[in-house]
Amino acid sequence: MLKPLVSMRGVTKFIYGGDGRPLRNTDVKILEEVDFDLFPGEVHVLVGENGAGKSTLMKILGGVIPPDRGELEIDGARVNLADARDAREKGVAFIHQELNLCANLDVAHNIFLGREPRRRGLKDAGEMYRRSAELLKALSTDLDPRLPVARLSTAQQQLVEIAKAMSFQSRVVIMDEPTASLTKREIDVLFELIRRMRAEGMGIVYISHRFEEILAIGDRFTVLRDGRRVGTLPIQAFKPDSVIWMMAGRSIDEMYPRAHAVHPEPVLEVHGLRLTPRTPPIDLVVRRGEVVGLGGLVGSGRTELAKSVFGARRFHGGEVRYLGRKTNGWSPARLIRAGVAYLSEDRKTEGLIPPMSIRENLTLASLRSVATLGFLSRPREERQAARLIDELSIVARSSEQIVSTLSGGNQQKCVLGKWLCTAPQLLMLDEPTRGIDVGAKAQIHKLIDQIAGAGVGILMISSELPELIGISDRVYVMREGGVAAELEAGPELTQERVVACMV
Amino acid sequence: MSARATEDLQAGPAPGERREPPAQAPAAAGKGRARLAPGDLLNLIGRNVALFIFLTLVILASLFVNNFAALDNAVVILKQSAIPAIAVIGMTMVLMTGGIDLSLGYVVGLASIVSGIMANTWLWPAPAVLAAILALGLALGLCNGLITQFMRVPAFIATLGTGYVLYGLAQIVSQGSIINRLPKDFLAIGRTPMFGLPSAVFLALGVAVAFHLLISRTIYGRQLKAFGFGARTAALSGVPGARINVSVYAFCATLAALSGLLFTIRVNAAQPNMGGGVFTFEVVTAAIVGGTSLFGGVGSVANSILGVLSIKIIENCINLLGVSYHLYLAVQGAIILVAIIFGNLTNRRA
Amino acid sequence: MTIAPAARRGLALLIPVAAFLVLGSRVPHFLDLSNLLNVVRQSSIIGICAVGMTFVIIIQGIDLSLGGLLAFCPMISGMLMLAGVNLPASMAAGMLAGTAMGLFNGLMVSKLTVPAFITTLVVGQISQGLALIINGGSSIGAFPEGFVFIGNGALGGVPLSDLLLLVFLALGFFIQRFTPLGNHILALGGNETVLRQEGLSAARLQFFVFGFSGFCAAVSGLLLSAQLDTVHPTQGDAYQLDAIAACIIGGVDLAGGRGSVPMAVLGALIIGCLRNVLNLLGIHPFMQNVFIGSAIIVIVYLSGAIRRHSELATRGAL
Repeated sequence: MLKPLVSMRGVTKFIYGGDGRPLRNTDVKILEEVDFDLFPGEVHVLVGENGAGKSTLMKILGGVIPPDRGELEIDGARVNLADARDAREKGVAFIHQELNLCANLDVAHNIFLGREPRRRGLKDAGEMYRRSAELLKALSTDLDPRLPVARLSTAQQQLVEIAKAMSFQSRVVIMDEPTASLTKREIDVLFELIRRMRAEGMGIVYISHRFEEILAIGDRFTVLRDGRRVGTLPIQAFKPDSVIWMMAGRSIDEMYPRAHAVHPEPVLEVHGLRLTPRTPPIDLVVRRGEVVGLGGLVGSGRTELAKSVFGARRFHGGEVRYLGRKTNGWSPARLIRAGVAYLSEDRKTEGLIPPMSIRENLTLASLRSVATLGFLSRPREERQAARLIDELSIVARSSEQIVSTLSGGNQQKCVLGKWLCTAPQLLMLDEPTRGIDVGAKAQIHKLIDQIAGAGVGILMISSELPELIGISDRVYVMREGGVAAELEAGPELTQERVVACMV
Repeated sequence: MSARATEDLQAGPAPGERREPPAQAPAAAGKGRARLAPGDLLNLIGRNVALFIFLTLVILASLFVNNFAALDNAVVILKQSAIPAIAVIGMTMVLMTGGIDLSLGYVVGLASIVSGIMANTWLWPAPAVLAAILALGLALGLCNGLITQFMRVPAFIATLGTGYVLYGLAQIVSQGSIINRLPKDFLAIGRTPMFGLPSAVFLALGVAVAFHLLISRTIYGRQLKAFGFGARTAALSGVPGARINVSVYAFCATLAALSGLLFTIRVNAAQPNMGGGVFTFEVVTAAIVGGTSLFGGVGSVANSILGVLSIKIIENCINLLGVSYHLYLAVQGAIILVAIIFGNLTNRRA
Repeated sequence: MTIAPAARRGLALLIPVAAFLVLGSRVPHFLDLSNLLNVVRQSSIIGICAVGMTFVIIIQGIDLSLGGLLAFCPMISGMLMLAGVNLPASMAAGMLAGTAMGLFNGLMVSKLTVPAFITTLVVGQISQGLALIINGGSSIGAFPEGFVFIGNGALGGVPLSDLLLLVFLALGFFIQRFTPLGNHILALGGNETVLRQEGLSAARLQFFVFGFSGFCAAVSGLLLSAQLDTVHPTQGDAYQLDAIAACIIGGVDLAGGRGSVPMAVLGALIIGCLRNVLNLLGIHPFMQNVFIGSAIIVIVYLSGAIRRHSELATRGAL
């Protein structure tokens, strides 16, 4: 019986509260009692939705973060990894999706950064180039080690990272969505490389959501869902339908409020919009009083689409019509005045101004409504703030409280409040309930229903399938920069169906 | 990918709040009047550090320095503070956006010699000179702003460059000479006695009040603050970042030109060397002592002026104690270091 | 295909060569050997400063303390010399003072995360103030022969100043090309995260870079005073921006991560030539300021625009 290269047992990672301490008693954890092992000479694929815990699990293996519970064994020996370097020294190499290289150095200097070969105390450049060339040759590429990394394609940069990992005599290589930016040919080259590494007895963890690739390269696969391991099976058992069910088959036992009615009049119409010159054209409609969900994996273009509509991102071709008017090229300020709102997924750096007060944050996008001839009216501001604090049930000492001291749920309500102050007719929400406690989530769901009931068209991006399906009247599923499907609420709108369209 | 980055952050080592416990419900429900809690009190002191420093200095100086606590000494301090006070207003605005204007002192020099030429050589009436100098400052400031915003040259290098150019221009324009004995109507702008103080002081006061209102009470001021704290959030909330960024440099140079004009009037000499790097540094020191943050967002006209008064008090004490004036320069440096270190340890950053 | 490093280096070389040829033929006396050696001698001041400044700009910093150090360090050495302390010890004291100020800058930047421009501005101001205090604002001069010889003497026909510049150029080049340290400094300017991941200390590098820049400023200040046989308390003012301009003209990227010492020294020579030519042509000395100030802005803008353009071109995926 072959001994595993890596053995992870009972790995648990708690969610951390705002004070930096782990919440040990909640039901929901980032990872819960996950077991994972990797044998020499195998490619073990890790599959799961957004937020299933794949990245976290691999970060623990890669030494980037420590587990809260559980054990990690490498080569049969129990280890406590101090940091990423420690993991690398013990034979684990992590090829991240965002490549970790210095663009201003050449290939060889990147590979040997921090351990430059020396001769009589000085840097031995000749040796560096020689050894780099050897490493690259072993990867079947004739890439010149003297080339500056900035001039390499993504695929070539990836090879450099792999070469660097090899130079540490790694036995375990973790690859996180390595094919995201590669052409078909480059993917073939990469797979050839992976097969060779496998033949040499290395173990590869391959994180991906592309089913064809998984079938082509995997030996075993593990499905994670909501932090738990659903199952580990040999690749022969990989059938798309059952995998999708493993990824998304959960019971929806929460009721979502649905009291609003949809009107036929379109608030937003998108025709033929391309996010990049190479992605397919997007057509999309949001009607008055309608909640339109936008689903898809991370990187599929949901946020980019919303920001393009909002004038915060340039798009290539196509048109956007708001209330019948063409708004291509409008700035966010102009769109806000016309009644378009965008609640960003990144609360802290794009939604709030943390050092400012609740009142100041609430009025930020609608200052004209609380001012006369350019001068702000404090009483009007305070009234506005008080009204919103009441309507949204924001829990705070006063409207002067600094928002950085609020809980996540209350912070999100502040951002929502800011947008409600602009009296929008189109409200775009990007992950509106991320990082929020259950109670506040329910409140926000109710608010969304009420806002739609008042005739506002809502476009909601969400990675939480139950929420997406529960609230939306219609769902668009995005994949790789384009719309893969449009699903009406009803019996055909299931989690499995959505996931099937995503991957 | 931003979405992916956020996903990673959730599970990262630092507090990743994916889901949180129900928020503790504090005492007040949050409608209407504010009730002070301990955190808010500390905030209050933190926000009034400039006043605190100013009062401490006044008290210490009155106790330990002879001749300090005299009316005519207070008048001297006020007269000396008027000119940097005007300049500090503009610098505060620039610092609030997270930038810097290192050309300020050289704008002063150019404004000085140009005003002298206009008044003495071209014999323009005083109001015309005033208007022209303000226009000059505005133009120079717009250049700084446009270079920083649209040519994307970092502020410190852009203003360092323009400052150097202005310094050269001032020298060339002056043809090596200083202009003395300026016309009376020109001098009257700053020297007309009012309530025992020269008009320059009241001019400074008026400007200060106007800009204080602008920054603390208007839409522009609120947007400036938001832009300084978080440019991305501000942009996504409809704040016109580019316009604000250019405008603060425009204001800064205009006010610097005005202070140069008043400085010329005060010493009755128009010279290209007026102001310079030393003056820029003094103004920056005053702004920082006044609690302005180098990272943007935090700043107030009132506090910066208290900062000016504070460092002028220190200068005054150095004079009264008979210590070398050159010590003042070194001391300024130490002050700004202390202020930065202190600010770093206590400041919230966006 | 991006335009960046190779083309930029080529451009940077073409300009001075072309300018040199044009100027040489037009301006009387420019190409005289004695004039050229003099140009190098005067450029050596900012040249030596530029060597240290190159490393600072590479790690995305800036050193605005040169002006003050160029006066403060020779003032210390000068006072010691006039008090009878022997030459090597006096000079060592000045160099130590400069290095210490530089290390202090490094401390502020690394441990207190104060932006480099403000901490170096402050240190420069403090140094300037101290230079004024030490002798009550007056100049000192009439130094021992050995010191003056350093500034004005020659070895085999070549001025000592030029040789000193060469030494520093070699030193800077050596560090960049032949030591692992050079690679680490570039990495710090390019991608600090990666540097830390490899277990290297950003703080130690910052200490070194700023300390070295302070050291260069000290040496350069001593050289200046040796040339003039005087220490004037505000003698450093004129050189501050020239050193930065030298680096920028020499292709050192303000955004960090790119820059070569020999090119920066070349930049210093270009500035020296420029000033010399303008002088020989009888153009107002302060017109040079206008030229150099504008040149800095234009070059920074252009290099930034080129970089942004090439970044956009390589960004493919969402």
